Amino acid sequence: MDAEGLKAIGTALSIGLGAIGPGIGIGILGSKAMEAIGRNPEAAGDVRTNMVLGMVFAEAIAIYALVVALIIKFV
Amino acid sequence: MLKKLLTVRNLVILLLAVGLFVVSDLLGLKVPSPVISLAAEPIFHLGPLTISNSLFTAWIVMILLILLAYFATRRIPKNLAQASNRELVPSGVQNVMEMVVETLYNFIKGIAGHWTPKFFPVVATIFFFVLASNWFGLLPGVGSIGILEHPHKAGEVGFIARGAILTGIRADAEHKTDGEKQPVKDEKAAGDQKKESAGYIVVPLFRAPSTDLNFTLALAVMAVGLTQYFGALALRGSYFKKFFDLSGFKRGAFDGVVGLFVSVLELVSEFAKILSFSFRLFGNIFAGEVLLGVMAFLIPYFASLPFYGLEVFIGFIQAVVFMMLALVFFVMATLGHGDEEHH
Repeated sequence: MDAEGLKAIGTALSIGLGAIGPGIGIGILGSKAMEAIGRNPEAAGDVRTNMVLGMVFAEAIAIYALVVALIIKFV
Repeated sequence: MLKKLLTVRNLVILLLAVGLFVVSDLLGLKVPSPVISLAAEPIFHLGPLTISNSLFTAWIVMILLILLAYFATRRIPKNLAQASNRELVPSGVQNVMEMVVETLYNFIKGIAGHWTPKFFPVVATIFFFVLASNWFGLLPGVGSIGILEHPHKAGEVGFIARGAILTGIRADAEHKTDGEKQPVKDEKAAGDQKKESAGYIVVPLFRAPSTDLNFTLALAVMAVGLTQYFGALALRGSYFKKFFDLSGFKRGAFDGVVGLFVSVLELVSEFAKILSFSFRLFGNIFAGEVLLGVMAFLIPYFASLPFYGLEVFIGFIQAVVFMMLALVFFVMATLGHGDEEHH
């Protein structure tokens, strides 16, 4: 296998594995936020804001993996 | 619902769209595969300085923000106490900016409390600058208007310019033989000789500043540096004690060692903050640009529109997150170490 092919595998693995954790995290965040809105619909606005903030932090981990993938691919 | 959509105007738009597909297919137009460069490309030199396209765009964003600030505050009377009510009523751009700034101020006041006058200018500047540089990259022409140059690396995909029409070709066949014959340094000279066969790449004149790691790193260093400044301002010398905590030794050797270890972790976390700050913004915005480019390559028309909306949203959210995190770190630095208050 040549270096180009190994690079492609490295790219796919880094973003693929890196997206697992944030995916689970965002899923938990979303489900808990829905539960919270279901119990207390008046607080929907607050819950949504905090949910989006939390999701952004979870997503940042996936973005790190993406940066690594981009660096492997393009540098 | 359907009847409402079936107007003459919409029909014309639909026909135009279908016509575009047909015409582009007949002409054999292809969207060139996106050339993705992780680093910002230099576009011109200013004395010994190399000006990259993202730096150039950052200057444009700054000028736009300064102009906005000037035109938004131009009509505010100098002497507020003696101004009549008529003079104080805002209109136009001043009205919009007053609304935005007021919303932002109240939001920040909810977190920062009595520190708001100190924190607001810094944090609001970060917000507006980051927001403007995120959204600037979404303007049409940014990243697509540029200078034609020969590919810098052997085997890079180039285009052959035929009038106004760019057709994507792989120029690696001719180029690779070039690279083998000549040392890498002479790559450019070799490209010049084979002008016809080497093809071109577009070096964009504009590039969103947030897609350059230097920009986000500079903002992150500034934010973390200011965190230390505000911490020192609030707690004087005792702020720096958290980085070199020996107070645990009063309660025995084990507590002392643990305290020292924790303070080393505190020091490391300050550097980790810089890293996470800069990578979060850079990764989000750069990945967004790549996503838009790849979508436009896969399906040339319309398919990238929903992603465009997503990128507008992400640009805003990332600006808010950068601002919020900086603000929360400032506030945490001014609060001091919890331990002293408990005992």
